Amino acid sequence: MKKWNYSKPVKIFTLTIIVYFKCCAAFSQQKISGYVRDMDDKLPLSSASIIIEGTNTGTSTDNNGFFRLIAKKGSTLVFSYLGYTPQEVTIGNDTVLNIPLSKIISGLDEVVVTGYTSQKIKEITGAVSVVSTADLTSVPDGEIEKILQGKVAGLTVIASGEPGVPPNIRINGIGNFGDVTPLYIIDGVQGDINQLNPNDIESIQVLKDAGSYSIYGVRGANGVLVITTKKGKSGKATMNFDNYTGVQEPLSHGLDLLNPQGQADLIWLALKNSGQVDPITGNPSSALYGNGPVPVLPDYVVNGNGYPSGAPQVEPSAYNIAPGMPINQIIKFNKQGTDWFHELFKPASIQNYVFSASGGSDKNHYLFSVGYLDQEGTFLETYLKKFTARINTDFNINNAIRFGENLQLTQSQLGSGSNTSAVLFTDPWLPVYDIKGNYSSENDADAGPADNPVAAQKLSKDNKNTNWQVFGNAFAEVDIFKGLALRSSFGGTFNFYNFYNYAYGPYDPAVGLDSFTENTGYSSSWTWTNTLNYSKVFAKKHSLKILAGTENVSNYMRGQGGTSKGYFSDDPNLRFLGNGDGVPSDQTVFSAATVSFLSSFISRAEYGYDDKYFFTATLRNDGSSVFGPENRFGWFPALSAAWRITQENFLKNSSWLTDLKLRGSWGESGYNGNTNPLNQFTVYGGSNGQSFYDIFGTGTSVVQGYNRVQYGNAKTGWQKDIMTDAGFESLLWNGKLSITADWYDKKSSGLLFPVALPALLGYGTPPNVNVGEVENKGVNVTIGSKGKFSKDLKWDLNMAITAYKSKVVKLNGMTDFYDAGTASISAGPIVDNAIGYPLGSFYGYKIIGIFQNQTEVNNSPAQEDKGVGRFRYLDANGDGVITDADRVHFGDPNPKFTAGINIGLTYKDFDFSTFNYWVCGNDVMDMLGESADIFPGLVFQPKSKAALYDSWTPQNPNAKIPIVEYDQNFSNNAVINSYPLEKGSYFRNKTMILGYTLPASFLQKFKINKFRVYAEVTNLFTITKYKGLDPELSGTSAAYGIDFGNYPNNQKQYLIGINLNF
Amino acid sequence: MKNLKNVFIAAFALAIIGSCYKSKLNQPAPGELTAEEIATKKGVDGLLIGAYSMLDGLGGSPAITYANSTSNWIYGSICGSEAYKGSIQGDQQQITDAEIFIANANNIYFDSKWGGAYEGVQRANSVLRNMRLAKDMSTADTIEAKAEALFLRAFYHFEAKKMWNKIPFVDESVTYDAGNYHIVNSTTWVHIENDLIYAVNNLPRTQAAIGRANKYAAEALLAKAYMFENKFAQAKPLLADLITNGETAGGSKYALDSQYNNNFNIQYKNSAESVFACQNSVNDGSGGSNGDQGDALNFPVNSPVTGCCGFFQPSQYLVNHFKTDPVTGLPDLDNFNEVAVHNDEGLQSSDPFTPYSGTLDPRLDWTVGRRGIPYLDWGVDPGFNWVRDQSFSGPYLPIKNVYYQAQAAMYVDNDWNQLTAMNINLIRFADVLLWAAEAEVEIGSLDQAEVYVNMIRKRAANPAGFVHTYVDPSNPATGFTNTPAANYFIKPYPPGYFATQGQTIARKAVRYERMLELAMEGHRFFDLVRWGIAATEINAYFLKEKNLRTYMNGAVFTPNKNEYFPIPQTEIDLSKGPSGIPAMTQNPGY
Repeated sequence: MKKWNYSKPVKIFTLTIIVYFKCCAAFSQQKISGYVRDMDDKLPLSSASIIIEGTNTGTSTDNNGFFRLIAKKGSTLVFSYLGYTPQEVTIGNDTVLNIPLSKIISGLDEVVVTGYTSQKIKEITGAVSVVSTADLTSVPDGEIEKILQGKVAGLTVIASGEPGVPPNIRINGIGNFGDVTPLYIIDGVQGDINQLNPNDIESIQVLKDAGSYSIYGVRGANGVLVITTKKGKSGKATMNFDNYTGVQEPLSHGLDLLNPQGQADLIWLALKNSGQVDPITGNPSSALYGNGPVPVLPDYVVNGNGYPSGAPQVEPSAYNIAPGMPINQIIKFNKQGTDWFHELFKPASIQNYVFSASGGSDKNHYLFSVGYLDQEGTFLETYLKKFTARINTDFNINNAIRFGENLQLTQSQLGSGSNTSAVLFTDPWLPVYDIKGNYSSENDADAGPADNPVAAQKLSKDNKNTNWQVFGNAFAEVDIFKGLALRSSFGGTFNFYNFYNYAYGPYDPAVGLDSFTENTGYSSSWTWTNTLNYSKVFAKKHSLKILAGTENVSNYMRGQGGTSKGYFSDDPNLRFLGNGDGVPSDQTVFSAATVSFLSSFISRAEYGYDDKYFFTATLRNDGSSVFGPENRFGWFPALSAAWRITQENFLKNSSWLTDLKLRGSWGESGYNGNTNPLNQFTVYGGSNGQSFYDIFGTGTSVVQGYNRVQYGNAKTGWQKDIMTDAGFESLLWNGKLSITADWYDKKSSGLLFPVALPALLGYGTPPNVNVGEVENKGVNVTIGSKGKFSKDLKWDLNMAITAYKSKVVKLNGMTDFYDAGTASISAGPIVDNAIGYPLGSFYGYKIIGIFQNQTEVNNSPAQEDKGVGRFRYLDANGDGVITDADRVHFGDPNPKFTAGINIGLTYKDFDFSTFNYWVCGNDVMDMLGESADIFPGLVFQPKSKAALYDSWTPQNPNAKIPIVEYDQNFSNNAVINSYPLEKGSYFRNKTMILGYTLPASFLQKFKINKFRVYAEVTNLFTITKYKGLDPELSGTSAAYGIDFGNYPNNQKQYLIGINLNF
Repeated sequence: MKNLKNVFIAAFALAIIGSCYKSKLNQPAPGELTAEEIATKKGVDGLLIGAYSMLDGLGGSPAITYANSTSNWIYGSICGSEAYKGSIQGDQQQITDAEIFIANANNIYFDSKWGGAYEGVQRANSVLRNMRLAKDMSTADTIEAKAEALFLRAFYHFEAKKMWNKIPFVDESVTYDAGNYHIVNSTTWVHIENDLIYAVNNLPRTQAAIGRANKYAAEALLAKAYMFENKFAQAKPLLADLITNGETAGGSKYALDSQYNNNFNIQYKNSAESVFACQNSVNDGSGGSNGDQGDALNFPVNSPVTGCCGFFQPSQYLVNHFKTDPVTGLPDLDNFNEVAVHNDEGLQSSDPFTPYSGTLDPRLDWTVGRRGIPYLDWGVDPGFNWVRDQSFSGPYLPIKNVYYQAQAAMYVDNDWNQLTAMNINLIRFADVLLWAAEAEVEIGSLDQAEVYVNMIRKRAANPAGFVHTYVDPSNPATGFTNTPAANYFIKPYPPGYFATQGQTIARKAVRYERMLELAMEGHRFFDLVRWGIAATEINAYFLKEKNLRTYMNGAVFTPNKNEYFPIPQTEIDLSKGPSGIPAMTQNPGY
């Protein structure tokens, strides 16, 4: 065979022509020519395929829809075009054939890739939603979440506003406490959706029920996204260029915080209310604000003490931040207040470029694309730079042998990330710079610039986090005889990362040193799938398809890195591990590896009768090395069936019901993705500082020692999911209206999660165990409508409604409840996943009011620290005393429903679309708001205006905020209570796009097929009662809907872009 | 073409046969020490070292460093009225909450401390469990390993017992695998004593490594346990044996160092006075983690010593204890707090100040850094400038944990100059002598009690052990004169004084002496509790001290509650077994 040269598509095309003439020389019959057009709008269809039935011979149309070929009289030509109903024409006497093709109504005959094979949509028996790029053309595809959010009923996407932070994607509720990320199968191989260039995606099939995803066995239970990338199409080479550019604006309002005077007044009030005053003068005192009846704002701050102008301590000559002498950083007290929010959030630019070329002959196809995304985040020094390239080719050697490859290269780069909560951890009086223009630092004079959030971000600009990935597969197929095909695919991912970070130390190196860390590593995984596929139609009505195969997946990761300290200077050019001070104790190194293996058997049988009844059975066996030998192997069966009622005679000619399919499925699948391959092993380790000890009393050396670092559990097996789904798919009035609805019940048992162990067992990473059972019941409804108001004005509406109820049914083993991993909250866990309650339920003491007077205090149940102006808690068990037994589940972060509403309108050459997202009925814990509103606890932090002006006083008895006090106690905010609870419902206009496509007649002069310009605005408005920054809150699947100052995802963005095809 | 097809089919067939990879499902744990490898003589000794390394309360998990320190500067000293939290208002608020007894069961300091103690317990248990699996250990090896492990297990349980009283006893049978870890918190002292009795009976008198526990360390800890139970009859013979025969693991006969301050000087660590200590080390490759981390905040700020962090500032009440009678050289047991040792509060460093000129116990200036007195070899304490926030927590500085400038190169971590190789004196011989004095007061001879107390006082009276002025105050490195830095005057009790005054006064004198000798060493609160006088003493302290420290306004120690700290709520929650009822119950009053 001739070697293909991808970079020269024109050559390939020429070659195709040569091959074509060679083939056809054997027949040498009639010359046929004509045009292929869209039946409705009569526009030419370019690259439509024309095949002589029973042969591999054919051609495709040019840009004007024109074709020409030679065929025998009496033979049949098959005209096909993606998204259109193929048409067969027998060659008679006409040598000119003008063929109108009609658009497939909602693509019932469209073939999509599901589990291991492809199926016609009408034959699918499971709950599968298809997102095809045709639906996406109006969305700039910079972010994968924009493609998915709100488009598919049952699919929930919660994104972070920070560039490069992957969105949380969930299918059908929350099936476990750990990782609910679905399985991504990209061209047949497990991959990472975030590494893709979204422009390369042809279609995404979302497998939502056991009938469709059980074939993925132990990896399938979170649902599967089967992603097919674009392939070249037979015909002339086409090229696309897409570009957009724009700007994102930070939120204008930020947080409503006190100015420095208000902050000082609040501190004075807190100290007075808490009686922390001088017994003689009755005044509070502080190093900053003096000891008078009212706080006096100083002019300068040195080492935490306030000074007036002219004090000797604030003479510029006393200033020192250089090593060697005591640090004396002189900071001007900013009496106006520093707006840290807007010091940290600045307008950010975004640019995206995509170029692709594709084409092919009737036998061989190619696609090549490159993309570059340069996205800044509004938070200082956050960004994503992503370069992608893709080469997809396929070849038909002869009638029986086909092979090809899909290859993707990605390089992505991130900065060192954001620290958005810094906005609420930095006092308003602190200016960004000290009197000499160096970065100020709040807590200690010698804390250094890292103490100042603006400095911390700006100084991180040379830190990089880079990832290189090669992903793809090569496949070969051979037909053993008609109907029986063997396919082998070998593919995988090779990923290499490099991360380096330079951390500025304090100004005084005696206190701490600058430190540099560099880590690199790779992960290598391969998937080898071998399948045998048999397909046959018996007696015209009975269709049978059988699939059997094996699959092996190997994963290996290895990483190493080090830290070195004491750099000669902060010059970025010196940031290499060898350039530290060389002191052994200033250097650390590590290396680590993990390995896992999955070995599987796959099978499926499909039977269809007369395009009416369809039955599918799948069975998979998996063996996973991440579990101990006892629970390593498992079988995953599923059954599903569909009935296309409209194929029955009594409905066949319905005037309004075009198509109706009833579906039902039941099946089992599993999940192992939460589990570390080391889970089965009890592991000991030894590290200096943790287990080494100076047993000889030298003062300067240690002896190696060991401790247990991880508990193993050899009995842990995977999470097992049993799901039942019933639904229907319907088309009414020829597709003007379509409704798809599913009801499901999904029981996930043996949930994998690291059980919280009491400290009396000692430290150590707890193993994942099968902790319990969760039930999700839900309804997914998609309603679509498309049509024309007039010849020029068309509409296309789509609404995807997702509603589920999750409930913890059972928790195995020793504990009857599970506190989610929020131990970092000093007041205790916020979430308790307990039997009978929804996942992620907020838990703690429920506030039923504020004590208004001493009588009320005296007459209420015993409660620690109860007092006037403090919270009064619910005595849930009515025993007359508030104890930990009175904590209740007072909030549910799960929405009653979410809805994505897409409205598209086209008028002549203009297109308009808008996407709206509605989340209704969820609760949010606004922890950031709580720490701003309630004084005790985080006393350095800036506080809200409400903390001072709208907290409880005898004159303000209806306040929500308790009396301002200095110390935390049980009855204000030392424990988790319902204060932070808020309604999280919102309705958001996510995108609004207006586009204009230049007239084809005009473009033809420039040999351009299509040229569209558009403008887009995202997050134009949000309707919500939530008072935090943004109610769209990501989190872990065990604890979500908790606002610790998350990176907002509701910032407005303005884009302009072009789509060019030639 | 037909051949090509056959080749493909054959290749497929091979591929499918070749893809039976079931054996690959047994994957190793790369880079990890598994249970099999650790169950060897070498592995068990490593586990024992690991168990010793928890003596500082830290290791194995990200804990709150300062919360866990076995120096107990927070719970023993600050909660025991010896010191204020220090630093600035709000910094490590959890400590203030503990200090003024408003801390509740959700205070993360308690959870952290609890975790450190039980990690120690389980590391000791790990030795016992793996020792039994090891095939290359002799009987003698296992007895030695067991004795050391039980000593450590007792020590860690003791740390928890004195904090919370109602604690679970966790022996080596309690494991994750066995699932038997929902345990009632009803440890009695007998559990701890049994472990120690084994250790006393099986540990050698001396050890090759000075950091290991020997027979006498175990005996001392056992005596301490008896003291906590007021079992004076059991304690007394042990204490007598320690005083007569006791020696360090290095073979030095127990004795008081000639100079009091040697106990707080890194150079003299592991002296004859060191009964048992946590060995701290620096510049050992750990990045400072083996240094005295728990006390890392307890340095003057903005000083040449370090820049941070100004915690653990001695209280005025403590300082007042050190006044001595200008005639007798004895403390005023009853009225010491009537007149304060005057200080520089309210003064800038540039304002003139003359230190207190009355007679003082010389141990004061090794216990408290105060204005005008040499602060080791760092220079004369300038007052205000070295204090984080004088208006919040007074003018005094901690000093016992501070290193000498001359030692900085060797015994201070390169990485962070707040980490030192200063040992934590867990039990020193002075402690043993004072227990012995207590036991004698309660059930023995008041004369003998007086002998012990006077041993302590005579050592303190050694003029070589006073703080002296600098040869050149502007250059402290030039050394010290022989001139005492203040008006030090201390005398032993006159012979027969205790017997003459009677048991009540003698008891008061012994307890007072413990304060003088062991102040800022993390014992006071636990002593007050075991003596049953915590509520009276601490409430009296608040009543007086709130005039100085505004945050103490309204502070109150609730009797029958605040003697013990609240059991971490998280641990109670996690003690729920299959029944759904927590196995552990909270301490009274919380």
